[in-house]
Amino acid sequence: MTSLKIYIISRLLITIPTIFILLTLVFIIMRVLPGNPVLASLGVKATDEDIQRITEQLGLNRPLHQQYIEYITNVLTGNLGNSLVFGRRPVINEIADHFPATIELTIGGFIISVLIGISLGILGGVKPYSKTDTTVRIQSIVAYTLFIPLIGLVFQYIFGVILRILPVGGRIDPLLTPERITGLYIIDSIVTLNFPALISSIRYLILPSLTLGIVLSGVYVRLVRSSLIEVLSTDYIRSLRSRGIRERDILFRHALKNALIPLITMMGLQFSLLLAGAVLTETTFSWPGIGTLLMERILYRDFTTVQGIITIYAVFVALISLIVDIIYAYVDPRIRY
Amino acid sequence: MLRGSSGVSRVTIALILAAIIVVAVVALFLFMPRGPQFPDTIVIGTTDRISDLDPANAYDFFTWEVLINVGEGPFVYEPGTLKLVEGIISSYEVQENGKVYILNLKRGVKFPNGKEVTAEIMKYSIDRVATIQGDPSWFVLDFIDSVEVVDEYTLKITLKAPVSFYQSVLAVPTYFPVDPDAYPMDEITPDNTAGSVGRYMITQWVRDQSLVLEANPNYYGEPPKTKRIIIKFYKDSSSLRLALEGGEIDIAWRTLDPADINSLKENPNFQVIEGAGSFIRYIVFNTNIEPFDDVRVRKALAAALDRSELADTVFLGMMDPLYSLVPNGMWSHEDIFKDKYGDGNLDLAKQLLREAGYSEENKLRITLWYTTSHYGTTEADLAALIKDQWERTGLVEVSAQGLEWSTYLERTRNEELAVTLYGWYPDYLDPDNFLYPFLHTGSNRWLGNPYSDPQMDKWLDDAQKSTDRNERSRLYQLVQDKLAEDAPIVPILQGKLFLVAKKSVKGIVVDQLMLLRYWVIYKEEEGSMQQSILMVLMAIPVISPRLLRRIKE
Repeated sequence: MTSLKIYIISRLLITIPTIFILLTLVFIIMRVLPGNPVLASLGVKATDEDIQRITEQLGLNRPLHQQYIEYITNVLTGNLGNSLVFGRRPVINEIADHFPATIELTIGGFIISVLIGISLGILGGVKPYSKTDTTVRIQSIVAYTLFIPLIGLVFQYIFGVILRILPVGGRIDPLLTPERITGLYIIDSIVTLNFPALISSIRYLILPSLTLGIVLSGVYVRLVRSSLIEVLSTDYIRSLRSRGIRERDILFRHALKNALIPLITMMGLQFSLLLAGAVLTETTFSWPGIGTLLMERILYRDFTTVQGIITIYAVFVALISLIVDIIYAYVDPRIRY
Repeated sequence: MLRGSSGVSRVTIALILAAIIVVAVVALFLFMPRGPQFPDTIVIGTTDRISDLDPANAYDFFTWEVLINVGEGPFVYEPGTLKLVEGIISSYEVQENGKVYILNLKRGVKFPNGKEVTAEIMKYSIDRVATIQGDPSWFVLDFIDSVEVVDEYTLKITLKAPVSFYQSVLAVPTYFPVDPDAYPMDEITPDNTAGSVGRYMITQWVRDQSLVLEANPNYYGEPPKTKRIIIKFYKDSSSLRLALEGGEIDIAWRTLDPADINSLKENPNFQVIEGAGSFIRYIVFNTNIEPFDDVRVRKALAAALDRSELADTVFLGMMDPLYSLVPNGMWSHEDIFKDKYGDGNLDLAKQLLREAGYSEENKLRITLWYTTSHYGTTEADLAALIKDQWERTGLVEVSAQGLEWSTYLERTRNEELAVTLYGWYPDYLDPDNFLYPFLHTGSNRWLGNPYSDPQMDKWLDDAQKSTDRNERSRLYQLVQDKLAEDAPIVPILQGKLFLVAKKSVKGIVVDQLMLLRYWVIYKEEEGSMQQSILMVLMAIPVISPRLLRRIKE
């Protein structure tokens, strides 16, 4: 068995206790926090009888260890239970309704942040300490400090209200919603050859992903710039120059390949952060994603939904970081585990 | 400069191509259909949400709004008048001093799938609510003793005891007929879009995103004025406002922040429609907790309140002062707190506080609790101003503290919070719903049992049973008088409803039911500025080569 295969298997095995610990922590935290999900759901008009009946129905009156064992058993069998509030729907349905929206937004923001990061990073790294480089460095710092709701509001106002060319909120024109296959509207539109839906979903995605992408591009800009400066000053590049190879070829055929390797690791980490960072973007653009659902359900002490979201999220992040590590190993042959 | 074979520079060609691409992209965006551009369609934006579309379990404001547009019960409120009239029944009889209701169903009342509503289906629908025991099941379980099918179109409902306001109860969505083939007897179906027998039917629902309603072709009566209603869900007031200003929605409904409403009032493109709401705000003193077991303390704090200042400063005039738990405009309402205490009556407040033993050296020290996550962004400001008003007496020191909603409810119920700020949305429009749940022994359990009085209980019970409006009115006046005298709960504000719409939208009715009836709303034609811009943009590629030639010559 190759070292890479062993590494992948060991990574998968590590993922299992990680998720288990995470679930246990969430289970404990949600129950330690003050507040009663049954009351939050029923509101001011709840009678004692209502509260007692629903508490029993939901099994919240049983000892904690019993609830915990049942919860872990259910998760292992793929049953995430039912929400405690808002119609008490199956948690898996709640997640299926909201998770694709977050994935779509995250991918959009991710692509934009990487594109900005690489292009500006190259501009700055090629001529370090020039005026262009200074501008790029300022951009990367400003991008860090931008507040998503603020920049989102500016975009909404310019493109949605003044120019009226892009929608200010939502995911798609309601009358163009494509047939659900994956829940990712762009993919579903392509698969069903529904081009009005495709254009509509792209139009709705532009502003949220641009906002998210710009704010998160700063880290890529700085990383690519510094990595490129370092690579361009190596002996290997100097020898290429001395052989009279054109500067453009040196940059794109040799230097950039090496300079982008650290970016791949960062992309994996950033993708996980993007999922979390999408909460503010989701709120600003009324994007019906998992982030806002999670925030809302924490407030309502909806234990089961919060636990379900964290489970799915943990599995997803673990998978992404595994994929990134594998890509990393392939891209850089020097790396072996 | 590099030139192509025709002599035009590559740069020029590139510029022309770039211009064409830009124009094409812009045209694509402008061509894209947006909600309001569809004919016979009105798009409503809201920050509310639909929790559960099953009438047996739906029990929140906005879901009920959707349900009254896709369903209809034995009685309905006439838009604008709040008069209860027959809905799916042609006539009714009240027998045995209000204990028995005989409902004669209209013929030809059909679900969107064409199935007719019969007495069997009505009985099934009511029995289903009782079986499921969902959140609003008390509308059935608390009142009904039995439901019988007399014949195909006649239903007999026997109550446990006469209930004077039962017609109002029969108007709530919990009593809407549902198709037994679509709604199982013992299972809640929160995503069910089968609907009921109303003017609209649900054709598409994407949770937390949008809801599309189309006119029900089988509705027995007059069809709605607008064929299609689209509801879009937004996360906050700011997004809702931008969507309206950007032309994405025709109507911005609940809830825009007061500042947004005031700002939109200045915009000549929109109309701001204002209506009386029946949503009330009040302060609860738990009389079981010191020092609020002393009526002089409660009275003093009631007297020190300046409701007009609360309404104008915190809500920018978007709420009205309220001096009784019964809302302004509802029969039997009396401005009883104003009569007894006035507004911002610091002299009376000081006098009562001194009588209770407090002074500048020995101040009354209290904590005013509010929730940070249920009544909107203005709640902390409201609590801060109430604190300020009480401290103006010079004899009170207040600490205002916020709690998130679920903890707030739990701690109130457990009698851990002595002074709290709450709000109430009515279940049915009758003074009973604004008095009984607050003041009757045991009914105010959710407020931590702050009050109990045998005389009050008797008046409330008698008023609930009496079918004589004058007698009920007299009893409710006694109740309100004693409420002000004991001051366990102090009403402060009554919500007004605001809706902002495009000028072309007509027929909107905002009344105390607080639920928008979509079927009366319609839209007049409006010119499309986008079409004009599109025409100009489309002409550019045609004009450009000519212009270029002219420039070259």
